[in-house]
Amino acid sequence: MTSQIQRGNVVTVERGARGQRVPGGGLLASMAVVWKHWQGSFRKNDSFEKIHGTFTMEYPEERPRLPEAFRNMPILLYDEASGHELCTSCFQCQRICPPQVIHMSQAKDPVTGKALPALTEFVIEYDACMSCGLCAEICPFDAIKMDHAFELATSDHAGLTLHREQLNRPISYYEGIAPNMWAEVKDSAFKKLQGNIKRRPDVIGMAPNLAEKIAARRRELHPPELVAAPAEEAKDVWSAKGGTDGWSAKDATDGWSAKDATDGWSAKDATDGWSAKDAKPGEGRESSAAAEAPPMAGAPAAPLDDKAARLAAIKAKNAAKKAAEAAQLPPAAPQDE
Amino acid sequence: MLHFELIMLKTEELQINIGPQHPSTHGVFRMVVTLDGETIIDLKPVFGYLHRNHEQIAEQNSYLQNMPYTDRLDYFNSMANNHAYAMAVERLAGIAVPERAEYIRVLMVELTRILNHAGALGFLINDMGMWQTQLAFGMREREKILDLFEAASGARLMCNYFRFGGVARDLPPDFVPRLRELLVAMPAFVDELERLLRENEILIQRAEGIGILPKELALAYSVTGPVLRGSGVPYDVRKAEPYSVYDRFDFDVPVGSVGDVYDRFLVRIEEMRQSRRIIEQIIEQLPDAQGGHINPKARQNVRPPVADSYARIESPKGELGFYLVSDGSTRPYRYKVRAPSFINLTPLGDMCRGYKVADVVVILGSIDIVMGEVDR
Repeated sequence: MTSQIQRGNVVTVERGARGQRVPGGGLLASMAVVWKHWQGSFRKNDSFEKIHGTFTMEYPEERPRLPEAFRNMPILLYDEASGHELCTSCFQCQRICPPQVIHMSQAKDPVTGKALPALTEFVIEYDACMSCGLCAEICPFDAIKMDHAFELATSDHAGLTLHREQLNRPISYYEGIAPNMWAEVKDSAFKKLQGNIKRRPDVIGMAPNLAEKIAARRRELHPPELVAAPAEEAKDVWSAKGGTDGWSAKDATDGWSAKDATDGWSAKDATDGWSAKDAKPGEGRESSAAAEAPPMAGAPAAPLDDKAARLAAIKAKNAAKKAAEAAQLPPAAPQDE
Repeated sequence: MLHFELIMLKTEELQINIGPQHPSTHGVFRMVVTLDGETIIDLKPVFGYLHRNHEQIAEQNSYLQNMPYTDRLDYFNSMANNHAYAMAVERLAGIAVPERAEYIRVLMVELTRILNHAGALGFLINDMGMWQTQLAFGMREREKILDLFEAASGARLMCNYFRFGGVARDLPPDFVPRLRELLVAMPAFVDELERLLRENEILIQRAEGIGILPKELALAYSVTGPVLRGSGVPYDVRKAEPYSVYDRFDFDVPVGSVGDVYDRFLVRIEEMRQSRRIIEQIIEQLPDAQGGHINPKARQNVRPPVADSYARIESPKGELGFYLVSDGSTRPYRYKVRAPSFINLTPLGDMCRGYKVADVVVILGSIDIVMGEVDR
């Protein structure tokens, strides 16, 4: 029975003739289908057009081919050439994030106290992130992108709260996993970054894990023969906190990173689980830069136990803070940029 | 001896719980079944175990923030959920959708229908005791479609692909060639599925004449989707109220004649064929469609005027509707989901009454529910 409707018919499905079926015929037909599949299972199916054969892959040895658009967890990009992060702490991603797992704080000019287009801290709670990708989509500076790494299993729950140092990836890493998507936004991203670098005094806004680069930049800005060391420390919040080698020293005293080193987010893990190599193996894309692990904060010497490490870290932090406050008491001459 | 016979004659009604933690209840779902021997006298569905405050959360979020949450309603068909929600917001805010985006949307929803039915039939057969065979075949076809979803949207299940006034990004260059390959495989898959089960004596024994839902009762319960069409009512939102670009495609509406489990099974198989027909027409018309996808950055702060809107689509499980009330701010004042799984589940007691206890899981499987959508 069929009846005409707009652009189509109403078709009554055929239920088959009762009583005319060959007894056992249906079962034999079913068995034939299963048999065909069993035969096919010895061959590899390599095409969408075939319905027989195995589709499965030997997962840990053979890696899935991930499409460019694949999104798992957000990462923060920085530019290797200048060492600057693309993020300007505009709070767009923090506002759009549906489960509200992105937190950040904006850098302030140490002299004037004005807000700068740079970060001091950036936290993403990976454990509650729903991988929707809205942060990456909304970001006006293309600073936050979705990573391809999916093997994030850990026994350390607290370690799933990722900080700026752990989220930082070089642009070449993202270019390696998503070349076309980066090419679309590349020019505007670099243009915006250049504008923002001009507005960032000193080494503010540089990726904290690039310790040598920050030190080099600092030497470039304040040649040691021109500036007396104590005065320099007084002006610079970062150096006051962490000494001349800036972030790596701060990391060591920062508590979470010291703990992380013992708990499974060490530099070794970083190369194992987070590298671009793991994210896109078998894709056949040559990219030597992206294949390397993103530079992470230098792993500090593993402390004897977790609690002692935390205690030491808090003590060191407090001491550094005190020193910074003491150093800031004498009025600092404005730094010209 | 006489004493013993008297005890045997005395029958007692027995009330048992099937679920909430039962593998064939498709999630955390409880059925309070009153039995007389093996025969069901009464069945009361109890749900709410998966309630996660979806609608209230949505009223705290901005319009765009709700999009990823709609993925999690019916996690089999995230694209269809996205479509209904995007349509509701577009009606509320008066946003126009470019033609090409409409075609991409319909393409995604029709692919969703195929993968949903491939999975649903697999689970139905699973419930009958044909453990995993059909499910594995169905899941394999579903994987191919999920690969396409992953290439387009970035995720396999929680696609979060639709945006107000378009889709998140255009189709990748290798999407359509891969889709063509898939369409070559699709008839072979559906035919094989039919050959595997259509005449199968075991399936017929378990499905024919079981769980009959009469036409009048189905209408009274406002059941929709393949369950309603299986009962013989030719109602399809795509035909009754053609939304998006559905008025440009030729496709048939399959209906059943008896309204039993077997009819619902056959209707779903036929719907997969019709979806493939629609996709073929989309591939033909897609290159001519005007206007690209929108830049989603432009639509992050939708602020609709004070109004309300209701948008409904034919989701693979039935009529999925979103009712939104706006108070003029960036977040909905009221957000209501008309979930097909929930409404299709309400006549379960009437469908099961009089059948044996072993039929309950089969009837439940033939309704095709996802608890994420039932409880919200």
